[in-house]
Amino acid sequence: MVCAALALPGAAAAAEAPAETEVAFKWLGYQDWQPGLKRVRAESPSLRVAAPVGERWSVVAGATLDSVSGASPRYHSAVSGASRMQDRRHAADVKITRYGDRSSWSVGAAGSSEHDFESRAVSLEGSWSSEDNNRSWHAGLGLTRDRIGSSDDLDLAARRRTTELNAGVTQAWTAVDLLQASLTLADGRGHYSDPYKRLDQRPEARRQRSLMLRWNHHAEAWQATLRSSYRHYRDSFGIRSHTLAAEWVQSLGRRVQLTPSVRAYSQSAAWFYYDPVYSFAGAPYPPGYLTDPPRHLSPDARLAAFGALTLGLKLALRLPEGWSTDFKIEHYEQRGSWRVGGQGSPGLAPLRARFLQFGLARRF
Amino acid sequence: MAITIGVEFTAMACPCALRLVGADEAALRDAARRAIAEVRRIEARYSRYRDDSIVSAINARAGSGEPLAVDGETAALLDFAASLHRASGGAFDITSGVLRRAWDFNGQRLPTPGEVDALLPLVGWQQVAWDGTHITLPRAGMQIDFGGFGKEYAADRCAGVLAAAGVDGGFVELGGDICIIGPAADGSPWQLGIRHPRRPGATVGEVALRQGALATSGDYERFIEHGGRRYSHLLDARSGWPVGQWQSVSVVAPTCAAAGAVATLAMLLGAEAEPFLAAQGLSYLAVDIRGGVRHGGSKPPTPPAGGSHAI
Repeated sequence: MVCAALALPGAAAAAEAPAETEVAFKWLGYQDWQPGLKRVRAESPSLRVAAPVGERWSVVAGATLDSVSGASPRYHSAVSGASRMQDRRHAADVKITRYGDRSSWSVGAAGSSEHDFESRAVSLEGSWSSEDNNRSWHAGLGLTRDRIGSSDDLDLAARRRTTELNAGVTQAWTAVDLLQASLTLADGRGHYSDPYKRLDQRPEARRQRSLMLRWNHHAEAWQATLRSSYRHYRDSFGIRSHTLAAEWVQSLGRRVQLTPSVRAYSQSAAWFYYDPVYSFAGAPYPPGYLTDPPRHLSPDARLAAFGALTLGLKLALRLPEGWSTDFKIEHYEQRGSWRVGGQGSPGLAPLRARFLQFGLARRF
Repeated sequence: MAITIGVEFTAMACPCALRLVGADEAALRDAARRAIAEVRRIEARYSRYRDDSIVSAINARAGSGEPLAVDGETAALLDFAASLHRASGGAFDITSGVLRRAWDFNGQRLPTPGEVDALLPLVGWQQVAWDGTHITLPRAGMQIDFGGFGKEYAADRCAGVLAAAGVDGGFVELGGDICIIGPAADGSPWQLGIRHPRRPGATVGEVALRQGALATSGDYERFIEHGGRRYSHLLDARSGWPVGQWQSVSVVAPTCAAAGAVATLAMLLGAEAEPFLAAQGLSYLAVDIRGGVRHGGSKPPTPPAGGSHAI
């Protein structure tokens, strides 16, 4: 009953070992612009392989190669230094799943490393479905360990550990409707401050909670599927956010699928965020800093209050011999004034970005 | 109304960026494409990692007695290398790359004096037969590479392509080597920082430039730390061992190749660095081994006001 377009992450109804191996290649291009500067960055390709192993197992592994990392300097236009051999950024992940009759278990590991940031994570997930396959539950546990700092400065070997738990239930409401609710809790301890910003001292712990609701509806008459979701997030930094997203997967014949999508986002600022205002004197100081410095502060734009809108369009083509290709373009715009339910951060420069993604996959 | 675009890319295993000022965005992007192609062309021609490069062709003939005729561009680079060898009294030497076999900066092990001495017979530009057109490496195992100034040369060429394409202002940055094409859209100079040699994410100096180039040579690029001492990848070709008097030297010069060459020579000259830099008539900022900052020249980079800025 559940066709591919309806399938949801974690839903045990999809708990069947894949029959085929799939190898997929993706290339991602990115550019963004803010007042005064437009930046173009070519990102790198990634590869993903999903293969069945016997009748009850599958392995999915992926790797991202050669991403260009590196924040642009904010105060200076460029910084001269002895050339750092760009550590190729590697990121890889692997997940092994075992399928039972109405359940599945997965064990996964992921890691990434750049020249000044390393992350390792392990995860365990399980899913179970009811006898009539109309309801399933899923639960997962993840542990992540990050190391921030570089071998240049041996004093800076800050660490961070995060534990994440999630659980949810998926219900087939009608023959063409799937509903899902899931809850995620994460507790992290360690270093959150950005080592590349001078006036950035964040709390040493972060507790996060989020609730995600999804509704997928297949409109047979239209040969299309609606996928919608709402996510509410809050954390101990004081950030509360809402995300509303929808996409319409439209089949055009047997081989073509066109998917327009929209995502609206709004977040409040972290309680220790301050607006960086660069002046002739140099780097910004928050008000009151020189006489009575606060214990926690950060000018990071990602902790500010803002709203954002993403519009996307994806075209997927199924080609002969098990090949498929897809092309996706997304336009993202973020502004302080777009925050819903409160004041946006005034010092935030509007940001617009465009993502281009090209993918090629083969099943065999 | 002039616009500014920024393009980031990877080349020569380093993060690179172009900042371009002009009237027409499409023309700027087209110029950027050509400029990046020029950087890749140089990388392909002179990379020792590529079998089809000129450097690999030269190195493959080492010890065979066969001279190789090279083109004008390569000849100019070899002449430049020869002049740097002379100016440094032999400390800077493009044949010193073979010392990599003893110095493994990825591991943390120091070589034994024997391991270094065994390679010294293969090092020495004075042994190389170079007549301006033909080059012969006399011993098998000898190698040349342009790692010492290849990136700075590529930055100059890249800036040249952009200027020829009509770009009014901007700069080229290849992994920390900066070549300016012209001032920013409003006519102001570019604010350039100099990386702090010991504190990642901080700067030790800054300079504002409307033209010219800025390059830095430092002991923090690759090194081995052993017994409280740092052994950097900047090896004195005469001894095979690293120099250690400066943490970094940054030089402002009309071209990036000149800035980079002078910065590297200053690092290699140790105690003679400051007289040498003064004799060149160029502005510089140097950080000595204890972290003390010295600067000189008519418009030197200065430590940032209010302490070092976070990048």
